[in-house]
Amino acid sequence: MHFIFSNEVVLLFDFWSVHSPAGMALSVLVVLLLAVLYESIKVGKAKLLYQATVGMSIPTSQLTEETDQDSSSSDSPPVSRTRLRWFFCHFGQSLIHVIQVVIGYFMMLAVMSYNTWIFFGVILGSAVGYYLAYPLLSMV
Amino acid sequence: MAYNSTTVPHHHHPTTSASHSHGGGMGNMMMRMTFYFGFKNVELLFSGLVINTAGEMAGAFVAVFLLAMFYEGLKIARESLLRKSQVSIRYNSMPVPGPNGTILMETHKTVGQQMLSFPHLLQTVLHIIQVVISYFLMLIFMTYNGYLCIAVAAGAGTGYFLFSWKKAVVVDITEHCH
Repeated sequence: MHFIFSNEVVLLFDFWSVHSPAGMALSVLVVLLLAVLYESIKVGKAKLLYQATVGMSIPTSQLTEETDQDSSSSDSPPVSRTRLRWFFCHFGQSLIHVIQVVIGYFMMLAVMSYNTWIFFGVILGSAVGYYLAYPLLSMV
Repeated sequence: MAYNSTTVPHHHHPTTSASHSHGGGMGNMMMRMTFYFGFKNVELLFSGLVINTAGEMAGAFVAVFLLAMFYEGLKIARESLLRKSQVSIRYNSMPVPGPNGTILMETHKTVGQQMLSFPHLLQTVLHIIQVVISYFLMLIFMTYNGYLCIAVAAGAGTGYFLFSWKKAVVVDITEHCH
């Protein structure tokens, strides 16, 4: 078990077997994009959580507006609506978390192929993702 | 190169490795390099834990699922514990008038006292548990068994869904307080 420079590797799935330099370049690109996606999800999740908590901290003003607009509805439907929205928001966050966990493990397994090109792809993708995504978080 | 020679014969492993599954020594004869679905002769972390039937795989699925859920809960519990201890430190601190009219918060705790404090010791113990479980989950994912990988991912998702609900509420409360 040691790092090797090779154009032949089998990554994660049976059908993802690489035998040519072009295929290796494509695989490195895919792995790189996976790493970028991982970093983006990490930042995006934090941003979503922040926005959700900020959005939930001012529901009272929205509620009064809504009740003013449609006077036919009582107090309970808007409350349940925001609860439902909150539920879906939270459910989406959990799904994003699953995707993050799976991509993280996939990247670990890809690195474990001990192919140096793939390793460089993961590192470079991680760097690019971090470089691009973190300035976007401060834009909140 | 050594691993190429060990991975190639695995296309016909059910006949070869079944004979010496309990032979000790080379316990990782089942080392796969791609994802597969199967419940025959799957070793789970320890030499005694070998899955051979569908029922055992179902049990392992539930166990791994719960472990991944527990891991997510532990992460979030540690975070809220840390926040709680920080808040109590802030309440214990004394306001001290600083230069040019500002007020400095002065804590009466040295580094040594912080290290010996109960919250920090608890955090350290929980950290050890977290590290061990995270390595276990990683090793389980590394078996490349499809069922177990799905259990890890689904457990992480469910745990996040159930426990970070509370976290969001906690964040909400702190947002209100300030």
